[in-house]
Amino acid sequence: MHTLHIISKSPGHTRFRECLGMMGEQDAILLTGNAVTALADSTITLPETVYALQEDLRARAIDPEQDISGQVTFDDMVSLTIQAQRVISW
Amino acid sequence: MTMVIRNNEGFLEDASAWTTDIAREIASEDAIDLSENHWEIIMFLRDFYNEHEISPPSNRLFVKAVKEAFGEAKGNSIYLMQLFPGTPAKTACRIAGLPRPTNCL
Amino acid sequence: MHTLIVIDQPPYGSWGGRESLDMAFSLAAFDQPVSLLFIDAGVLWLKQGQEPGGINQKSVERNLAAASIFGVESLLADTAACHRFGLNEDNLINGVTRIDNTGATLQQYQHVAFSG
Repeated sequence: MHTLHIISKSPGHTRFRECLGMMGEQDAILLTGNAVTALADSTITLPETVYALQEDLRARAIDPEQDISGQVTFDDMVSLTIQAQRVISW
Repeated sequence: MTMVIRNNEGFLEDASAWTTDIAREIASEDAIDLSENHWEIIMFLRDFYNEHEISPPSNRLFVKAVKEAFGEAKGNSIYLMQLFPGTPAKTACRIAGLPRPTNCL
Repeated sequence: MHTLIVIDQPPYGSWGGRESLDMAFSLAAFDQPVSLLFIDAGVLWLKQGQEPGGINQKSVERNLAAASIFGVESLLADTAACHRFGLNEDNLINGVTRIDNTGATLQQYQHVAFSG
């Protein structure tokens, strides 16, 4: 993984669009906070490698219908940030 | 005790209400007898606050700011700890009548 | 690891920016290299003459003047955003470096954190 993009803003926020615009081919996106609502929104197209924070999904009763790379725990999130060469927290 | 409003940790509510007499009173609560060296740091902190509208937010930044102004001899934690025991940034800001440094426990 | 903190919101309307400033100062306190980048309406943080006493807030202009004392490495501003908000040499605070390519700047840092 080159860059891990951690996004906490909902898909309507301009920063969500900016984040998707900056995604490179070897990048991954981790949805946290309100960003996990993207998985409940059928109008949003997400890139290939998508992780979502399990507790944020559970808090909002969102069960991802799309095939995502993984639901992650807080510990997994730490591991992902270490694996990534760069991290951008949007 | 001079009539001045202080919070539950002894910090002045209004930095502009501060006087040197208040400083002596607050210092005496910590059994500190204010010397020239104390006043130098206290007046530095007052000036810093007037200019930047912020107390150095942590002990490390307090030391950095003093070092920037007076050099290594005074800008080190041992010197400041001797003048202002406990958490130097907190003790010094309390005596100087400034808000509590935000990141000091 | 050099951290870049990006502020894209104007000052005073929310606490997010102030928390980011706090984060920058904390990194600097532990000698971790950190810089601040102001983009979009965030460049208004850098405008001279702020007087927020009337809304009971402390001046971020004055707070930022302490950044270099605390060890923050640089204050960067997006040139286009400065232009959009009428900021130039005459009304920008001291010590700001204007950059033309924000995207390329973001790529230079291993850790980028947007404010708020």
